[in-house]
Amino acid sequence: MINEKIKKIYNGKIERIEKVAQTSYYIEINCQVPVEVKAGQFVTVYCSGLTLRRPFSVFSNDNGRIGILLKERGNGTKYLTSLKIGDNIDLIGPLGNQFNIEEKKSLLIGAGIGIAPISFLKKELDKKRIENCLAAGFLNKKEIPINIKVDKIYTDDGSNGEKGSVVDYLDELIKLYHPLPVLKTVANVGEKYCIATQISMEKVMACAIGVCRGCVINIKKNGSIVNAAVCKEGPVFNGSEVVWE
Amino acid sequence: MGIISSGILQTNLNGYILKNPIITASGTYGYNNEYSDFVNVSTLGAIVTKAITLEPREGNKGIRIAETKAGMINSIGLENVGIERFLEEKLKVLKDENIEFIMNIAGSTIREYVELAKICDENKIKAIEVNISCPNVKAGCLEFGTEENSLYELVNSVRNNYRGILIVKLTPNVTSIEKIAMAAQKAGADAISAINTLKGTQIKINCQNGEINKTIISGGYSGKGIKPIAVGAVMRIAQVVNIPIIGIGGIETLEDVLEFFAAGAEAVEIGTANFTHPNISETIIKELEEYVKINGFKDIEELKKELRS
Ligand SMILES: Cc1cc2nc3c(=O)[nH]c(=O)nc-3n(C[C@H](O)[C@H](O)[C@H](O)COP(=O)(O)OP(=O)(O)OC[C@H]3O[C@@H](n4cnc5c(N)ncnc54)[C@H](O)[C@@H]3O)c2cc1C
Ligand SMILES: Cc1cc2nc3c(=O)[nH]c(=O)nc-3n(C[C@H](O)[C@H](O)[C@H](O)COP(=O)(O)O)c2cc1C
Ligand code: FES
Repeated sequence: MINEKIKKIYNGKIERIEKVAQTSYYIEINCQVPVEVKAGQFVTVYCSGLTLRRPFSVFSNDNGRIGILLKERGNGTKYLTSLKIGDNIDLIGPLGNQFNIEEKKSLLIGAGIGIAPISFLKKELDKKRIENCLAAGFLNKKEIPINIKVDKIYTDDGSNGEKGSVVDYLDELIKLYHPLPVLKTVANVGEKYCIATQISMEKVMACAIGVCRGCVINIKKNGSIVNAAVCKEGPVFNGSEVVWE
Repeated sequence: MGIISSGILQTNLNGYILKNPIITASGTYGYNNEYSDFVNVSTLGAIVTKAITLEPREGNKGIRIAETKAGMINSIGLENVGIERFLEEKLKVLKDENIEFIMNIAGSTIREYVELAKICDENKIKAIEVNISCPNVKAGCLEFGTEENSLYELVNSVRNNYRGILIVKLTPNVTSIEKIAMAAQKAGADAISAINTLKGTQIKINCQNGEINKTIISGGYSGKGIKPIAVGAVMRIAQVVNIPIIGIGGIETLEDVLEFFAAGAEAVEIGTANFTHPNISETIIKELEEYVKINGFKDIEELKKELRS
């Protein structure tokens, strides 16, 4: 049979679940994923009773365990944070593309829970001894996960680090993540100073494998504007190719 | 492996023989082997492709999906690669990997459907499913499938240009689905599939410090919430036609499949549930085979007969 290949669907077990900030949790799932997961990729998890699986960036990946950092929002995330060590979790992944790692000094920017894939990227850059600086922005100090390592912190209210938005830090930059205004600013700054940027996008997803076309954004390709599925062609895009809504 | 070995699930749709009655629904399963990370696609009864139009389509702008309490709303708008690219790029994989498929076609005028039918005929596409839930541009954008005369004309025109298995997929957004089904049969359909999505809207309201923010999405409602409507539709259609019916709508479990059989369906299509559990189709095939065996039925036909008596 041609199809004796690895199936990307796992029945994982929760090995750690910890509150790491006011409304954010770290969940470590033992699912023996047999492939190497790259920074920027994501997984989807089934949340009991809900129709759509929820996507989360991979925050860590060691010994077949996938770590995710999640912020409580609605029913899906509340279900996940109610789980206990030893509970089963139905996980699919790794999905999507990855950050393109270059031997160049890199600036990493993450806002809010968007810090998850960026933290993973930093770990990979550190491993490869690529000089980098991670600047992160949060609402206030209570929102800063205790298990992340950052170089520069901004908070909206100045309760930790500098007061202001993480985009204030932008004069030279590259990789980053999260809510659109920050993403868009980064892309614009990159364009202005001719610096390559890579951006991780978010869209509500249904299939997460590129078939339903529910998560498309517009990108520039060969001089025209086309649809690209965030789940398949992304979630990481070059800042210069994204057409902002 | 092994799930098709005994042939007890073999299903006959008016001469179209499938190894089992579990089909995956249009728009939820891509064009060919996209789910092969999760299932052996060639073991399914068949897959139905995303709706294919004459020209490639970009689809709708804005938010395209939203989850609801018992399913989801989509407003994809027929984004697809068009028939040319389908034949050039997608067909080969279907053939190479031995994937049984039904091509879902859609158009804006009868001429477009006829054109598609001719191309399918020339390319010996074994089975097509005609998506009639599309606005008829020439008739004030009223959907083809909502009025029996325009439906008859459409299906008849396709029939006259296509020799393969012709399945007509009905929309539930009508006053009498029986009348539409009878018109489809009269026009020469080999089988009927029902139902497509229901029209629905979600308005998400977010209020912060007295400032109201609304996100509105209108589109097709699918998923577990539509199952009773779909089972009801199949049952009513079964009373007025004698061609096979493929039941669609909210199927997530073996019990759901049995319910559709009992209502008169010969086969079923699974849509939204593929998003929730991408291996659901394979799981249900295995469970169905078990069920037939454990309960001592000779084959699926006997099971269906018992379910309907
Ligand atoms: C590629 C990708 C990576 C992500 N990585 C992370 C991460 O590392 N940590 C984290 O906390 N969150 C992440 N998110 C966002 C996360 O998926 C949503 O917060 C979560 O789905 C909300 O579900 P809910 O049921 O709690 O909220 P609800 O508001 O009840 O969700 C309702 C619907 O909206 C969708 N949805 C809501 N917010 C978002 C959003 N921001 N992005 C996409 N879909 C959304 C849900 O999937 C669901 O279909 C990521 C999203 C994407 C697309
Ligand atoms: C995202 C999405 C896209 C769809 N696209 C099509 C399509 O292109 N053509 C079609 O005939 N039906 C389409 N449908 C309808 C399904 O094939 C099916 O009839 C419907 O969703 C009901 O089944 P379900 O409840 O199992 O999903 C689509 C449904 C969804 C959810
Ligand atoms: S979620 Fe289906 S295409 Fe991205």
